[in-house]
Amino acid sequence: MSNVAEKPSALRSYYEGLARNVFLATLCKSCQGYTFPPTGCCEHCGSWEVEPTELSGDGTLLLATHNISPACHPRFDAIAPYVYGHIRLKEGPIVQAIVLGVQPTPDDLKALFERGPVPVKAETLRMSDLPVIAFRIAS
Amino acid sequence: MRNRLRERAVISGVGCSRFGDLLETPGLKGLSIQELTASAVKEALDDAGLTGQDVDAVFAGNAMVHSSQAPGTYSQLSKWTGTQFKAGVHFEAQCSTTNVGAALAAMSVAAGVYDTVLVYGLETTRTKVKGFSPYEREPISNQQTWLWTDMAVNQAYGVPQGYDIFSTYNGLVALGYCRKYGLSIEDFDRGMFELCRTRRLHGAMNPKANIQEKLEDRAAREGFSDPYEYWRSDAHNPFVAWPSRLLSLVTTADGASAMVITRADLAKGGKSQPVELKGFGINYSDLPWYGEDPTHWEFDKRAIDSAFDMASITAADIDYLHTHDCSHISGICTAETIGYLERGKGLEAAREGRLRFDGDRPMSTHGGRHAFGHAWGASAGTDTYEAVLQMRGKAGPRQIAKPPEISVIHTHGYAMISTVIVLGGI
Repeated sequence: MSNVAEKPSALRSYYEGLARNVFLATLCKSCQGYTFPPTGCCEHCGSWEVEPTELSGDGTLLLATHNISPACHPRFDAIAPYVYGHIRLKEGPIVQAIVLGVQPTPDDLKALFERGPVPVKAETLRMSDLPVIAFRIAS
Repeated sequence: MRNRLRERAVISGVGCSRFGDLLETPGLKGLSIQELTASAVKEALDDAGLTGQDVDAVFAGNAMVHSSQAPGTYSQLSKWTGTQFKAGVHFEAQCSTTNVGAALAAMSVAAGVYDTVLVYGLETTRTKVKGFSPYEREPISNQQTWLWTDMAVNQAYGVPQGYDIFSTYNGLVALGYCRKYGLSIEDFDRGMFELCRTRRLHGAMNPKANIQEKLEDRAAREGFSDPYEYWRSDAHNPFVAWPSRLLSLVTTADGASAMVITRADLAKGGKSQPVELKGFGINYSDLPWYGEDPTHWEFDKRAIDSAFDMASITAADIDYLHTHDCSHISGICTAETIGYLERGKGLEAAREGRLRFDGDRPMSTHGGRHAFGHAWGASAGTDTYEAVLQMRGKAGPRQIAKPPEISVIHTHGYAMISTVIVLGGI
């Protein structure tokens, strides 16, 4: 079995990229649309002619709330409650992810809400078993 | 897409169990899931004046097989429902299951394949099989319920990277709503309180509801003379995803529902007043469910447009509406997208009592997902059950004064399949 070559996987590549602070998407050769996180098919036009591409990690945090503790998934018990945000990436895709740089309290979240959209930068949050994407509010 | 039913299909019978907990709720305690489901099926068949042997096909819905351990539901339940030797399938569309089943049944009837179809859904989100016992059950923890339920959500990237239903479905939508319409967080909170109060009022008038206690009564029981102070109490009603609070959410339940779909000409002169399934629309989306504007869900709009086109109605024709309200603010956004409520004015309508059974925009008179409770694959059938009761004038103390002629039922099946059905009299 060890001689069997692994097929390339957009899913595995994404997480391996995250471990290196690389944020992979796919770019459609037909409509030039981004699919993020990456799949093997364009989410906009359905074309299978897509290629991997790296995103900048720059974005704008539009809205931020928090979650409950214990978290819905045990992977996140150690950091729950955490802040979860609605983000527009510089390249266009909308993504929802963990937000760093603000506390999950009503007062802090209200202050952030009243401040309006703020710039954020993607980084890799290293959970015990998986690297996951997070966005840090620019200081 | 022609988007038409070639023959008229009607709902000739409906049934649903009480929603609650198989380990403790009066009327449910001690039942097996087989008997729970059979009770809803029996009610629907009796309502239609049929037995299980009178139907041609059975569409059996169950979403979370982890707790039911009943895949192959059609055959496992066949001897409990009198439906041996029928065409059948086990299917799921998560929390839209039973109404997707109604649409599938209507299509099969309109296509001339079957004359009569039994659709049912069962779900246990409070209890699960205990060990290897065929009848003993035990509670499910909150985290386990969501871990299993979230199996229906993007398992490649969403859930593994911290997706959270409370944030995505409640907090972010609430903030988007407030920002878009210039609503203060304080006004939002007050509106959500009034909306919960309405849902709990409806639940208190429904003997099948999971929660049958008005919010005011619960507040008084906890020692609060002002129910709004109870609402704002972190101990009793914490933020689960600021600014959304616990009591604006779904409550979990074990339950079952059923309906009989048949040809319009066969239902005439039947035991109970049939209701026509005039149209439906189904549309789904992976995460994220919305773009920059969390109040606009494109797949909802497409499902609504399809259903209204098939049924040849407009929003102005709607007399009764249920929108999926696992998240109360999401349900308001959907009602505004439908055009039943004015954009940005949904919470104001709640504060004015307009969404009550005796208001001019009645919604979710069974209590909705919060008060009636939520048993994923069974719940859409309870929304339809309530609409049929209202249209027949049989909803008891919560009856809308003028029985609705057109009802619209919207549900979100995780994650997400928007399903809209339009019901009308024949």
